[in-house]
Amino acid sequence: MNSFLTRVIACAALVALAFSAGAEQVAFTGATLHPVDGEPVENGVLLVEDGRIAAVGRDVEVPADARRVDLSGRHVYPGMIHAGTVLGLTEIGSVPGTEDYSEMGQVNAAIRAETAFNADSMLLAPNVTNGLLTAHVMPVGGLIRGTSAVMRLDGWNFEDMSLLAPAGMHIAFPAAAVDDSDNEELKLIDSMLDEARAWASAAEAASDSESARPAANDQLAALEPLVSGDMRLFVHASGESAMNAALDWIEKQEFEDVVLVGGPDLQHVAERLADAGMDAILTGVQVMPERRWEPYDAAYVAPAVLAEAGVRFAITDGGSAFVAGNARNIPFHAGMATGFGLSHADALKSVTLWPAEILGVGDELGSLAAGKRATFFVADGSPLDEMTEVFGAWIDGREYDFVRDRQRRLYQRYSNRPQPAGAN
Amino acid sequence: MKKLTAIVLTAALTGFSAGLFAHDIEAWNSAIPDQPDHVLLRGATVWTAGDDGILEETDVLLRRGKIHRVGKDLKAPRGAVEIDASGRHITPGLIDAHSHAAVVGGVNEATLISTAMVGIEDVIDAESIHIYRQMAGGLTTMQVMHGSANAIGGRNIILKLRWGADPEGLKLDGQPGVIKFALGENPKQSNWGGAGGRYPDTRPGVAQIIDEKFQQAEQYRRDRDNAQGTVPHRRDIEMEVLLGILDGDIHVHSHGYRADEMLELMRIAERHDFRIQTLQHVLEGYKIADEMAEHGAGGSSFSDWWAYKYEVFDAIPYNGAIMHDRGVLTSFSSDDAELARRMNLEAAKAVRYGGLDEHEALKLVTANPAAQLDLADRIGRVAEGLDADVVLWSGHPLKSSSRVDQTWIDGRLYFDRQRDLEQREAWEAERRRLIELARAGDGGDDNSGGEDEEEAENAGAEDEASVSDPDERRRGELVMRRLLGQGASS
Repeated sequence: MNSFLTRVIACAALVALAFSAGAEQVAFTGATLHPVDGEPVENGVLLVEDGRIAAVGRDVEVPADARRVDLSGRHVYPGMIHAGTVLGLTEIGSVPGTEDYSEMGQVNAAIRAETAFNADSMLLAPNVTNGLLTAHVMPVGGLIRGTSAVMRLDGWNFEDMSLLAPAGMHIAFPAAAVDDSDNEELKLIDSMLDEARAWASAAEAASDSESARPAANDQLAALEPLVSGDMRLFVHASGESAMNAALDWIEKQEFEDVVLVGGPDLQHVAERLADAGMDAILTGVQVMPERRWEPYDAAYVAPAVLAEAGVRFAITDGGSAFVAGNARNIPFHAGMATGFGLSHADALKSVTLWPAEILGVGDELGSLAAGKRATFFVADGSPLDEMTEVFGAWIDGREYDFVRDRQRRLYQRYSNRPQPAGAN
Repeated sequence: MKKLTAIVLTAALTGFSAGLFAHDIEAWNSAIPDQPDHVLLRGATVWTAGDDGILEETDVLLRRGKIHRVGKDLKAPRGAVEIDASGRHITPGLIDAHSHAAVVGGVNEATLISTAMVGIEDVIDAESIHIYRQMAGGLTTMQVMHGSANAIGGRNIILKLRWGADPEGLKLDGQPGVIKFALGENPKQSNWGGAGGRYPDTRPGVAQIIDEKFQQAEQYRRDRDNAQGTVPHRRDIEMEVLLGILDGDIHVHSHGYRADEMLELMRIAERHDFRIQTLQHVLEGYKIADEMAEHGAGGSSFSDWWAYKYEVFDAIPYNGAIMHDRGVLTSFSSDDAELARRMNLEAAKAVRYGGLDEHEALKLVTANPAAQLDLADRIGRVAEGLDADVVLWSGHPLKSSSRVDQTWIDGRLYFDRQRDLEQREAWEAERRRLIELARAGDGGDDNSGGEDEEEAENAGAEDEASVSDPDERRRGELVMRRLLGQGASS
C-alpha cells in the first residue's frame, strides 16, 4: 500500500509542478473498472478532465499528453453515497456542544442541515478513506424536520461542498397516527401544510396585485416549495402499519415526489411502493428483526424482497450520530443482503447509483460514466467485502490525501513505536 | 379465564407436537437436540484456528460431544451421521468475550462503586431470542457480563448457547471465576446528567478506590485468618470475591478505553500481585500494547466503533492488528446482541485494517477469546479432544455472502438453516392460531375471532415494535445510553 500511495503522491506532485490545475487530462489505466450501471471492464481506462469523467471503457484512447496513473491489479468503483446521515452535524455523541442535528420542537421546516455542516469534522476522513465520498445530510429533530443536503465529503466549507441543497423536506410520520384520525401530531403536520398552502397563495396573490403580502414566516416559507410540488419529500416511518398509514397520507396529501424512509418492514410494503413508483431508503440490514417471532434473517432478506418487487432503494445504517463515524460501513449492510438473496450488482447499486438517483444527483454521481463527476475510489476488491482494503479516492477529480485520516495517522505513529527497553 | 385455558392448552399441545421436531422458536418448547455417538462432516475446508491453519478437503469426526478426529478420508463409524460438507467451510464455534445478551431485569447493579457481591448468573434469561439468533450466526459461547457502572462490578458468567436449556444448563461447566471491572467515564458517571453524586468523579479516584478495595481485602484476610475468641469472623461476600481475585481463582475482565486508565489498572494489579486477565473494549490498547503484553493482559476490542463519547475519540480500527502484532492476546467482542450475530464479519475487518492474515483474523473470534476465558483446552479450535462446537458455513467464513448452514454445540445440532426454513410456516400458523384464540376470548359470544385477525396482527406488531424500537435513531440512542453506562442496561 505504501509504495502504491507513494507512487501516486509522487506522480501527483510532479504533475502539479509541471502543469496548472486547469484542463489537465488524467488517464487511470490497468484497473478493473466497475461502472455499476454496466458490466465490469477489465484493464479499462478512466479518463478524467476538469473534475469530470471524460471517457470510460476498454477501448478509450489515452491522449498523448495525458498524465497516466497505473492502477494495475486494482478495482475502481464510483464513490459510495450515504442516503441519510447526520455526518458533519455531530462530533462526539456524548458532548451536546458538538451535536447539531436535532432541533427542539415539532416544526422545524426552516432548518437547513448544510448550514451546520462542519467541513473539518474529524469524522469525515475515516469515512472518505473507505470509499464513502458523498453524503445526504439530514436534520432529525421533530415531526417536520427541515431540509437536507447532498454534500461531497471534501472541500473548504459547506457552500463549496453542497452538491444539492435543499435536497428535500423531511417529515417523520407519527406512529401513533395509525388508526387514529384524531392524532394530534398528524393534525399538526396537516395544519402546517394547509397554512403553507394558504401562505403560498397569499404570497402569490400579493406578487400579482397590490394586496398586502402575508407576514413573514420562516416555517411556512420553507414549506412553500413542498406544497407547490417543487421539492422532494422524505417521509420517515417506523413499522409496517405506520408505513401503510404514511402511504395513505401521502396519497391524501397528493405529494408526488416522495421517498419513504424506514427499516426492514419496508419489505412488507414493497408491492405498494412498486405500484406507486416510489423510491425507498432502507435504514439498515445488519439490524435485529423488529419482532420476536420473526425469522432470524427477517432484516437480512428485506433488500432482496424490495429488489424482487422492482423498488429502487438505497441502503443506509440509519444515519444516527452514534453510527456517523462508521458511515463507512453501509457497504457491509448491503453485503449482508448478498447472503440472503440480493445480487452483488444490486447491493452495489444500493450504495452508489440508486442513492444518487433517489437523491436527485443521478446525472452527477453514482456510476462511472462520461460526463459525471470524477468521484471514485480504488480498492483491492469489492467494497461490500469487509476484508477489502481501500487505497485511494478522488473527489471531483482531486485526489484525497489519506493522511487527513487521523485514524491512519495514529496507526502509523503507534505502529512505529519503538519497543520499550527490556521488552521481548 | 376460558381464553387463558384455551391458550395454555393449545400451547401445551403444540409443545407435544413440536417435541417431535425438538426445535422451536421458543426455548421452553425446544428439546435439547440429540447427541449422536458419531457425526462425520466430510470434505470441508476446515479453519482449525490452531497450528494446523486451514485444511482443504478435510473431514471432522465428532464423537459424543467432543471433536474426535480431524483428517482426510476418515472412516465413518457404524451408525455415524454423515454430512457432505464439500465446497463448504467449517470453523470453531464463534466466541464472544463481551456480551450482555440473555440477561433479564438489568445488567447494572449501579448503586455502589464496588458490587463484587452480585453475580450476573442470577439473572440469566434462557428464553432470550438473542440466544437463537446469535447461534444462527455461528456463536456458540459468550461471556455474559455485569455492566460498567462500577469500578469493581459484579461477577460474569460464561454460557454456551444451548437453545432450550435452562439457565443452569447454559452454563459452561468448569469455567473459571470471572468478574467485571470498569474504568473511565462510566464508573465516574460522566454521562449521567449529574445524577451521580457518588465517589469518584475522576479517573484518579477510580484508580484510588480499586487499590483501596484490595488493601481492605488483604486486611480482611488477616482479620479472618486470625479471628480468635468466641465471636466468629463476620463473612463479607464482596471481600471474599476480592480475595478470589488475589488468589487467581477469579479473573478480572475490565472495561476501559484510555491508555492511562488501563495502564494504571495493570500497575494496581501488579502492586497486589495479581494479573488483569483482559482489558475490554480497550480502544487505546494500541498505545500500550507492549505494556499489556508484558503484564499478560489480553485485549478484547470492538473492531471499529468510535467517536460516540470523548474517551473513544482515539479509537482506531487498526487497534486489533497492532495489539496482535505486538504480542497481545487479542479478540473482537460485541457488547451488543445484534453485532454478536456476525462476529465472523467483525473479524474480517482486521484484514482490511492492518492486514491481518485471514486465519489469524478468524482467531480473534475463536481461539483467542477462548484463551482469554482460560478455556483454550475446551473450546475455540477445531482440534481433537475439544468440545464439538463447530460451525458449517455455506462458503468462506469471513465473507458476508456466506451463511451459517449449521451450528453444532457439544456435538448436538442446535441450529440448522434448512430446518429453520422448513419450520417457519408452522410457527407462523401457530402464532396466528393463538392470536385468534385470544381474540375469540375477547369477543364474548363471537367465537370465530377471524375477522379481526389483521388488526390483531398489526396491534401485536406495534406492541413488539415499541419494545425493540425499530427507529434506527432511537435504537442508536439506546445503544449509546448503554455504552455511557446509563440506565438499567449496561
